[in-house]
Amino acid sequence: MVRHTPESVWKHSPCFKSMNSVQNKSILIFLLASIGLIAFPHINHIPKAVFAFFYLLLSWRFIGIWKQNWLPNKPVIFLLTVCGLALLYSQYHGVFGRDAGTRLFVTALALKLLEIKSERDLYLITYLAFIVAASQFLYEQSLLMAAYILFVCSILLATLVCLNSTKLQPFTALKTAGIILVQAIPMAVILFILFPRVEAPKWMLFNEKHQAKAGLSDSMEPGSISDLGMSDELVFRVKFTGALPPPPQRYWRGPVLSYTDGKKWTQVKDLRFRPILDKPVFTGLPYQYTLLMEPQDKNWVFALEMPADYALPLSQNANYQLVTLENPDKRTEYKITSYPGYNTGAITRIEYKDAMQLPGDPSDKIKQLVKQLHGFDSTSDYFINELLNHFRKEDFHYTLTPPLMEENPLETFLFETRYGFCSHYAAAFVYLLRVANIPARVVTGYQGGELNKVGNFLEIRQADAHAWAEVWLENKGWVRFDPTAAIAPERIERNINIDQLMPGGIINYMPADAAQAAFNWLKQSRQLWSNIDYHWQRWVINYDNKNQSGFLSSLGITDIKAMLYWMVGSIGLITALLSWLLLYQKQQAIDPVVRLYNRFCQKIAKRGLLRGPCEGAKDFAGRVKIKLPEKATSIDQITDLFIKLHYGKNSTPDDFKLFKKRVKSFKI
Amino acid sequence: MQNDTHHLLDAANQVILGKAHKIRLALCCLIARGHLLIEDIPGVGKTTLANTLAKLLGLNCQRIQFTSDILPADIIGASVFDAKNLTFKFHPGPLFNQMVLADEINRATPKAQSALLEAMEEQNITVDGKTYPLPSPFFVIATQNPSYQIGTFPLPESQLDRFLMRIELGYPDHDAERLLLKGQSRHSLIESLPVMLTPERLINMQDAVTDIYVSNAVLDYCQAIISFTRESSEYHCGLSPRAGLALLNAAKAWAFMEQRDAVIPEDIQAVLAAVAGHRLRSGNNDSAAIVAPILAKVAVH
Repeated sequence: MVRHTPESVWKHSPCFKSMNSVQNKSILIFLLASIGLIAFPHINHIPKAVFAFFYLLLSWRFIGIWKQNWLPNKPVIFLLTVCGLALLYSQYHGVFGRDAGTRLFVTALALKLLEIKSERDLYLITYLAFIVAASQFLYEQSLLMAAYILFVCSILLATLVCLNSTKLQPFTALKTAGIILVQAIPMAVILFILFPRVEAPKWMLFNEKHQAKAGLSDSMEPGSISDLGMSDELVFRVKFTGALPPPPQRYWRGPVLSYTDGKKWTQVKDLRFRPILDKPVFTGLPYQYTLLMEPQDKNWVFALEMPADYALPLSQNANYQLVTLENPDKRTEYKITSYPGYNTGAITRIEYKDAMQLPGDPSDKIKQLVKQLHGFDSTSDYFINELLNHFRKEDFHYTLTPPLMEENPLETFLFETRYGFCSHYAAAFVYLLRVANIPARVVTGYQGGELNKVGNFLEIRQADAHAWAEVWLENKGWVRFDPTAAIAPERIERNINIDQLMPGGIINYMPADAAQAAFNWLKQSRQLWSNIDYHWQRWVINYDNKNQSGFLSSLGITDIKAMLYWMVGSIGLITALLSWLLLYQKQQAIDPVVRLYNRFCQKIAKRGLLRGPCEGAKDFAGRVKIKLPEKATSIDQITDLFIKLHYGKNSTPDDFKLFKKRVKSFKI
Repeated sequence: MQNDTHHLLDAANQVILGKAHKIRLALCCLIARGHLLIEDIPGVGKTTLANTLAKLLGLNCQRIQFTSDILPADIIGASVFDAKNLTFKFHPGPLFNQMVLADEINRATPKAQSALLEAMEEQNITVDGKTYPLPSPFFVIATQNPSYQIGTFPLPESQLDRFLMRIELGYPDHDAERLLLKGQSRHSLIESLPVMLTPERLINMQDAVTDIYVSNAVLDYCQAIISFTRESSEYHCGLSPRAGLALLNAAKAWAFMEQRDAVIPEDIQAVLAAVAGHRLRSGNNDSAAIVAPILAKVAVH
């Protein structure tokens, strides 16, 4: 006869439950999917080999959900670890810094995925995944990325909810995770506003200097460019406190190019040693504005001509251009005041020398042209007028895709092709003036800017880059002339931007009305989005130590002690509020009979007799009566009424009233 | 009506000493129209309990001693050729009694076991295409030896589920054992017991039990227990819906015996070990230990 043990019977029973969460498919799918999503934005941040290694192991683990036998054993995992370390070492020879840290975490996460043995491993992986998610913010801090990470974190949170719940419903878990996230928002906001900001050491974060996009170049070579890159990348935003300057006055001053070799225009080499000039005499109404520069690789700040007041770290160089003394690779805000009217006064000798420099003698053809326009025998004003008229009347064209002019670009442009954009016109204009013995120079910068109607600020993009001329005139000082305006006045006045530049390069407008409507809608939504993004950058990303203390002192919080008090106080308040809300909701759901009975139990609890959650009313009464024999009658009465009201069939409203009365009058 | 049960229990306690709670559970099982399984080592009074109950209730009782060579026909009866009338005549087996004591049920082969257990479930017997109803009330008390003993066929779960309750008797305590050793023989005691309840009254009681009220709060508690057994890692297999019904029926009968017209959580707690113990078995034979996590973790509603 065979002896049966209960275990042997049960092991083969069909209803043997596999409640082990390590083998639970839905938890694993949840976890792996969210990890796959979390690491994905790192595609641009970590080497492709590490990225591929991560997703290879992830998909291996994914297949392993169904094919348990395919998962690697210990020696293989060891081998993979060695591979991963070798990969890390070959890609990056160091252990410090953002990049090395991120790669290490990503590789560690991938390896840990293959080693899920207990519930503890699942927790560890989830926490590692949270770290990898947070590391995304070391690379990108846009609003979209924040939304994406928040979304993925809610899935991770749902995984944790699943791990701790016996009911494994994915959508319920997601809902719970969402509720938890929403409940966490007030806390996050308070901590964000009030927690002391610590400036991280530079080697740890943001060594993204090499990644800052080159904006305006410090030299200009009109003939060598045949296609002006029209990037709509944002350079800076300006918010005016009062009225906006009209479009023809929106010249944002950048580097001044005085030296030319005939083809290329550059800044003078010893600019930094030049003496700082006196302030110009300003006239007219000032414009006050806040300028928010995007990260740059050069320290130029493009102020509206002509900047008058500014604070450190800004300073002005000998060309009236504003430069920042701090690292320009961070988004920074500056407060500047500019006047549209100015007189720079007398010219210095060295300025004069720079502004008259020519690369050798001009050709006869050019001399002939200058002579023809009365360059040698009239006033400066007259010649300038003649020259601008010449551009206007002759067959000159404005285009963004001019032909290449490699040999002697100036003459080719003036006499042959006659197609060009701002740089061509500014360079030719300045050159001809210098030939006519008038001091002149090229100024580069940005012109115009698109008004964001939602946020009422100007957005200046790379496509707004511009070059114009500056001429020194007796009694007026340096005066701005824009020869491009003579050719294509709409470029200056109508404030054209990238949206309206047709692929052909020549300025054009959308012909059909329907297309126009769609276009307007597109433009509006784009403006709305850039407004949101502006506030995100300004209030969230740019909220550093300085901004924090500024903002808090406007609320009346001035020192760190007050800040900590406020933080602890408001967190306590929110916690109390949330817990009250949760408890109150629970209270509401309870039957009034049970609530009264609970009150009765609370009264008894004062004597140290606690009712366990699993103890029935009758058992509890029996237990209490032994300890409190003098109260036996009233305890019996209340318990009997409770049983009648809560469990019985025929309870009346009078019973409830009596029960209420007895519970209320019950004293201990 | 409930007073009758008190007298009955008093009388039974005179015969089986120191086992008041177990006798109460056995009577509860009977009133709830369920069958009882008593599991324990030989000689602790399983048969005595069955005989005492049969005598006190005035039921005709038949004992079937299960052995490894018993056949289904030995239990349900057989058709025998009647030479006089030249027909087959059905001779009812020992199952055609109001109370059947199936002794050492797990020593029989599965085939014989299932013959008994099918009859228990169907309340009638079909032989040669003809159906014979079983008497009413019909009550089976089965006893079994613990499964670690030699020569046992453990009952499959599906058949264990047919028994409303399983109780263990256990050794009597010191004083009860002294009395037992001193007193007269149990056989003569049982012989002298009066009939305290007629079968008709028992049926009335069984009907009254179905009218016991079950509130939503108790149903909540009952469901909480069931889902706890299904979700907790303590148990391989949770309680089935039939087990839930059994639990509720037993609790109703218990409330009836407690002279209440509605079930309270304590009734469920009182019968839980007996009703759920054998349905949740996890290699442990101690019902109280099996259900202890439920009593400790499921909050009453």
